[in-house]
Amino acid sequence: MIILVILIPFITGILVPIIPFRKRWHKEVFLETAVVLNSILVWYLLLHHSDSTFLLAHFTGNLNISFRVDGMSMVFAGLVSALWPFATLYAFEYMTKEEHENVFFLFYTLTYGVTLGIALAANLLTMYFFYELLTLVTVPLVMHTLTREAVLASRKYLYYSLGGAAFAFLGLIMVIVYGSTTDFILGGVLDPAKTAGKTDVLLLIYVMAFMGFGVKAAVCPFNSWLPQAGVAPTPVTALLHAVAVVKSGAFAIIRLTYYSFGTDFLKGTWAQDVVMAVVMFTIVYGCSRAVKETHIKRRLAYSTISNLSYILFGVVIMTPLGLAGALTHLVFHAVMKISSFFCAGAIMHQTDRHYVHELNGLGYKMPRVFGIFTISALALMGVPGLAGFVSKWNLAGAAVKSNNPLAWGGIACLLVSALLTAIYMLTIVVRAFFPGKDFDYGTISDICDPNWKMLLPLFIFTVFIILFGVYSQPVVDFFMRVATGAV
Amino acid sequence: MYLILSSIFFPILAGVFLLIRYRTPLSGKKNADSKALTTLTGCFLIVTAGLVIASLLTAEDGFTLFYLTKTLPIYFRIDSTGTIFSLLAVIVLLCAGFFSFEYMKHEERDNRYYGFYLLIFGVLNALCFAGNLITFYLFFELLTLASMPLVLHNGSREAVMAGLKYLFYSLCGAYAALFGIYFLYRNCDSLTFTTEGALRASAITGHGGFLLVVAFVMLLGFGVKAGMFPMHAWLPTAHPVAPAPASAVLSAVIVKAGVLAIIRVLGMFGRDFLRGTWVQTAWIILTLITVFMGSLLAYREPVLKKRLAYSTVSQLSYILFGLAIMNGTSFAGALCHVLAHGFVKAVLFLCAGAIIYRTGKTRVEEMRGIGKEMPLTMWCFTIASLGLIGIPPTSGFVSKWYLAVGSLESGIPVFDVLGPVILLVSALLTAGYLLPLTIHGFFPGADYDYNMLQKKEPCKLMTVPVLILTILSILVGLFPEIVINLIRMAVTG
Amino acid sequence: MPFVCNFPFFSILLSLFSGTVCSMLPAKKAKVVNRTVILAVGLMSAVLLLYLLSTGDAYIYWMGHFPAPWGNEIRAGVLEAGMALFFCIIMYLSMAGGAHKLPGEVVESKHNLYYILVNLLLSSLLALVYTNDMFTAYVFVEINTISACGLIMIRQVGRTIEAAVRYMIMSLLGSGLLLFGLCIMYDLTGHLLMSNIKESVGLLMANGEYQIPLIVSVALMCIGLCIKSALFPFHAWLPDAYGYSTVSSAAILSSLVSKGYIFLLIKIIYRVIGFDIFNSTRIIDVLFVFGLMGMIFGSISAIKENDIRRMIAFSSVAQIGYIYMGFGMGTQAGMIASIFHILSHAATKSLLFIAAIGLTDVSGGSRKFIDLTGAAYRNKWAGAAFTAGSLSMVGIPLFSGFISKLLFAQAAVQMEGKMLASLIVLGISTVLNAVYFMKTVIRIYTSAPDAPYKGITFRDMKSYAVALVCFILLNVILGVSSQPIVDMIGQGLAMFA
Repeated sequence: MIILVILIPFITGILVPIIPFRKRWHKEVFLETAVVLNSILVWYLLLHHSDSTFLLAHFTGNLNISFRVDGMSMVFAGLVSALWPFATLYAFEYMTKEEHENVFFLFYTLTYGVTLGIALAANLLTMYFFYELLTLVTVPLVMHTLTREAVLASRKYLYYSLGGAAFAFLGLIMVIVYGSTTDFILGGVLDPAKTAGKTDVLLLIYVMAFMGFGVKAAVCPFNSWLPQAGVAPTPVTALLHAVAVVKSGAFAIIRLTYYSFGTDFLKGTWAQDVVMAVVMFTIVYGCSRAVKETHIKRRLAYSTISNLSYILFGVVIMTPLGLAGALTHLVFHAVMKISSFFCAGAIMHQTDRHYVHELNGLGYKMPRVFGIFTISALALMGVPGLAGFVSKWNLAGAAVKSNNPLAWGGIACLLVSALLTAIYMLTIVVRAFFPGKDFDYGTISDICDPNWKMLLPLFIFTVFIILFGVYSQPVVDFFMRVATGAV
Repeated sequence: MYLILSSIFFPILAGVFLLIRYRTPLSGKKNADSKALTTLTGCFLIVTAGLVIASLLTAEDGFTLFYLTKTLPIYFRIDSTGTIFSLLAVIVLLCAGFFSFEYMKHEERDNRYYGFYLLIFGVLNALCFAGNLITFYLFFELLTLASMPLVLHNGSREAVMAGLKYLFYSLCGAYAALFGIYFLYRNCDSLTFTTEGALRASAITGHGGFLLVVAFVMLLGFGVKAGMFPMHAWLPTAHPVAPAPASAVLSAVIVKAGVLAIIRVLGMFGRDFLRGTWVQTAWIILTLITVFMGSLLAYREPVLKKRLAYSTVSQLSYILFGLAIMNGTSFAGALCHVLAHGFVKAVLFLCAGAIIYRTGKTRVEEMRGIGKEMPLTMWCFTIASLGLIGIPPTSGFVSKWYLAVGSLESGIPVFDVLGPVILLVSALLTAGYLLPLTIHGFFPGADYDYNMLQKKEPCKLMTVPVLILTILSILVGLFPEIVINLIRMAVTG
Repeated sequence: MPFVCNFPFFSILLSLFSGTVCSMLPAKKAKVVNRTVILAVGLMSAVLLLYLLSTGDAYIYWMGHFPAPWGNEIRAGVLEAGMALFFCIIMYLSMAGGAHKLPGEVVESKHNLYYILVNLLLSSLLALVYTNDMFTAYVFVEINTISACGLIMIRQVGRTIEAAVRYMIMSLLGSGLLLFGLCIMYDLTGHLLMSNIKESVGLLMANGEYQIPLIVSVALMCIGLCIKSALFPFHAWLPDAYGYSTVSSAAILSSLVSKGYIFLLIKIIYRVIGFDIFNSTRIIDVLFVFGLMGMIFGSISAIKENDIRRMIAFSSVAQIGYIYMGFGMGTQAGMIASIFHILSHAATKSLLFIAAIGLTDVSGGSRKFIDLTGAAYRNKWAGAAFTAGSLSMVGIPLFSGFISKLLFAQAAVQMEGKMLASLIVLGISTVLNAVYFMKTVIRIYTSAPDAPYKGITFRDMKSYAVALVCFILLNVILGVSSQPIVDMIGQGLAMFA
């Protein structure tokens, strides 16, 4: 069953270029059905999960490829499978303007399977395997347009990701050698008898592995691939570079920190301080770059960089509360950012405008898109009543309670970043709705909102942004249970 | 419960309705059915005011609307502090609202203006009725967002920059406050407002020093909205660019949200916790600097609306000074000044608006003989000026008296005397920057050409609201005991 | 002694004599003979391997039944038989993969010469693998050098001759040093058979006699073999030799010849000097440092390179650095990792060379990156194979490279002092690998709509495509079911003692 949900996207993806579809909508129906079915299957699996581990293959020694559903997998797999059908729907419309559609959908659907593989992996090796695979299947998506810019971006993406994995690999080795098992167990698997006297080395390797996985989560100074990768088609940037890929990085770090090295081992050490400082810096750095950036998608990408570090900030607090906060932001940010990215994509699709200063007055022509964009902007800023506030509240609450002065400083970083978020998001909104006194509306007279395929996902995401904002209790409770190992 | 909720959500929904229903055609400059729009807005304003007064009179119990997270209720409650602010808000918004029906005729996109105006009304009500810190914070942010479109209403580059400046300063302050809220939340049993302090005893003994830092950060943060030095720079930029009635609302009411916030924060921390600490000292210094600096800058400012904005900076710190002294008398003075300054500043801005509307003059030196052209407006202006300076029968005198007495009673070294001295100096400066208008307006000098004189008195829709506000400001001065009683209730809870 | 035990002797002899036979045959037939011989030898090695696994013990084979010290001995264990089998597989696939290029690269009249050289090379490799006699080893080292030189030079272009001369000089320097070392060793111990030398060395060490000459001798042998296998500072000959020779030669040279020397070094370490004695010298530290430097500098040179073949050649320098790093760790685990990497690198590097030639062919024969743009669309098989090879080099799970990385890292963790250095260099070198291999992969998958070159289909290159597929399979097999192979290596090392 578990392996099925990973395989279906693979098979579907491979079938797309093979089956000779007569009409375009045949392909759309085929893909959408497969993706929706798979998502339903995933949810069924998550809701009826058992604790058993599914062993696919022995690798070498005591290493094996196996899958299991636990609390963390439920969060990530649930998130990914909930978003994917919408993103696919959106992609149909968006891709009408692009070439090589088959190749695109091949890799796009493959990525679904690989991401689920990361989510459902039962041990560090399996996760590492799918993690590497994720890099490979997403490169063609970044390269999609095959322009020089795209090639450079994908090259950089590859270097960074593979390089990061090389250092994450060291963490894997440490867990293999010093751990009692590589399986994910909340609280860590390091064997105290083996690690005695080697603490510092282990911590150093932890920091390296953190930064290694952090490459995907765009931790400073390894973040520059993400804005560049924005050359990919918007469904990719929205889903992969705001959710699936980058959150795999964060997810991997959670697995590494909470399920492999263990927080008892790491908490209060210099390693925690180092990674926390890095994360705090990234939070502010990402936002300040976003303020400077004038390309819409790149601006959102920088915003993602900063927001990913919110998640990591929760992670490195290294308490159950921190983890719960991180998970909250992991899910909520996904919804907010995918919504704002889809808006950006809709704008680019409808108008071919890519820079912030070209957006003057569009708010009157595309009221739905810009209305939704405004809501997601407010949510990202953390206005109470929207999703972003809840996750920030949980993160900050965890930081306050951790009694770690550095984490208190982290709260300040969160707030500075919120202010910068306001600057870079609201300037767009202001431009769109307040184009200035002498603005000539004639220049944008033939622009209108996109059709339902693009709007439907947007509306649904917006509903969730508001819903999570005013009634997040069941979700947050669930995260708390995951973080304490009750699920 | 339903009255409070409807007084909050009715204007908000009405505002949204106006925004959507009367969307301005992009090509046309003017709404076709501007009459219907104003009539509708007028009805909405009156209904809202009625709802607010009704909920104040029925004095309903507090209630929780819903839970944001498990431990964060959105909670509303009417208390006496809230009542004072609410009264001020209703009166000023109502008067300025009717004033704008005439004024907005020379501006574009009035539907947007009225829509956000009503939104602000609802948010302000919510702010006054908020029963805990998180609810308050929620509407505090919304207030910033809803009032920003008023600032950048005319759409010029200057206005947009001012609007953004306003936004970023306000958010900066709000986030600093949020920083404090995070820590308060951990160290209090609940975030429901009190006047006695809600910090746990264990927290005070454990992290007392750090909590003081938190308190200071919160004061600074909310102080941004109240234009306290060093984060006051947005105010003189943002207020003057808005349409005049909006400036009146901004200067008279919306900045008071910062004051209300600080009162609430003081209540949460407890005056006893802060009294005599470095936080109090630093805060007093900041307010005194602001008082003096605001007046001085106003004195040097040639553009009338900007001058009034600087004056707001200065006057708000009178209030904050009163709060910083932290005794009953000064607190009463502060609350009294909230009302006094609210009415007075509304009058001043509306007068300035009337002058702009009728003559297009914005600079003080152009306004020679204005008193001859618009006598009623200028009389109101003069009375309000006297109130702001603090000449005895007017409202400003009462509040300043309490402030000074409170300060002298407090026994804080140095500042108990220095404070009143600076207040006096500032009052002198106030006279210096407001009275020349009256003097030159009514006595334009020998070389004034009386042949050119035209009667430019604006229509009733403008003069009546100004008159009402002027009368109210005098009433506050004449019958201070009603106000003071209400305030006593606020002080004692 | 069962008949199977004759197989090592047979295979050496068979390849040696078939070489001579080839010289008299026309090119076509020589090719058939060559292929048959490689297959036969491979088959024999496989049977031998199975036999050895079943007996679980190595044996010594007296050539001509003369006992030591007069006779010449052959020794066969699991590791030797396995290596021989593996070498045959790689060689066969390399020959098959490069066959279609041969007419273009070598003049018709020299084709059978080419096959002679390949056969000679095979025989010398087998001899290096099997011999138990230091002097025999030396002799075959020389034969190996000569045939390798011939293989480089047979494509008679200016650069190859220069490369061959360079290779010759460096190689002879290496074998000279080896000979020196050997002489000193003979002087000290009076033996040439490996097992005898080991006994004497053990005695000498125990008595504390002749320490310095002993070390010098070991050092000379090591340096000699390091030069020949192109360890980092001695690698200058390599890029030209691999870069400009015919494609099969390049594949064979990079994946087999240097590995033969390395295998000889392993034998010397285990069978001549003794693992513990070797580890107690400082030489392993030197090897370790050179290994690490090779890993970094080899990759850096590869990054700078603008010629795909030379880039792959430089990558060999880095990979050989890995192997020596494993030696330098001085543990059993390190050694196992190194030996596994010999296999993995051989399988991957020959794959890369063969795939690269497919790519350059459809790019007008140019090896510059700029011309390779979009080559993978023109030759899909080569593109896929090159990608697979690159992924293996970068160490993506499921490919062999990942396992060697895993083994190296695990071995490194057990070494207190060298752990951090090796782990960090391992990480950096992976990053560098990713840089130049992925750069190439992206380049070949970047479409070049206006490229003037024609594509090629499966029908035009059947044997080539099949060879590529076999290589990929080999890689994946090494990557997926590595456990039996690792066990076998461990078993083989145990038999060395």
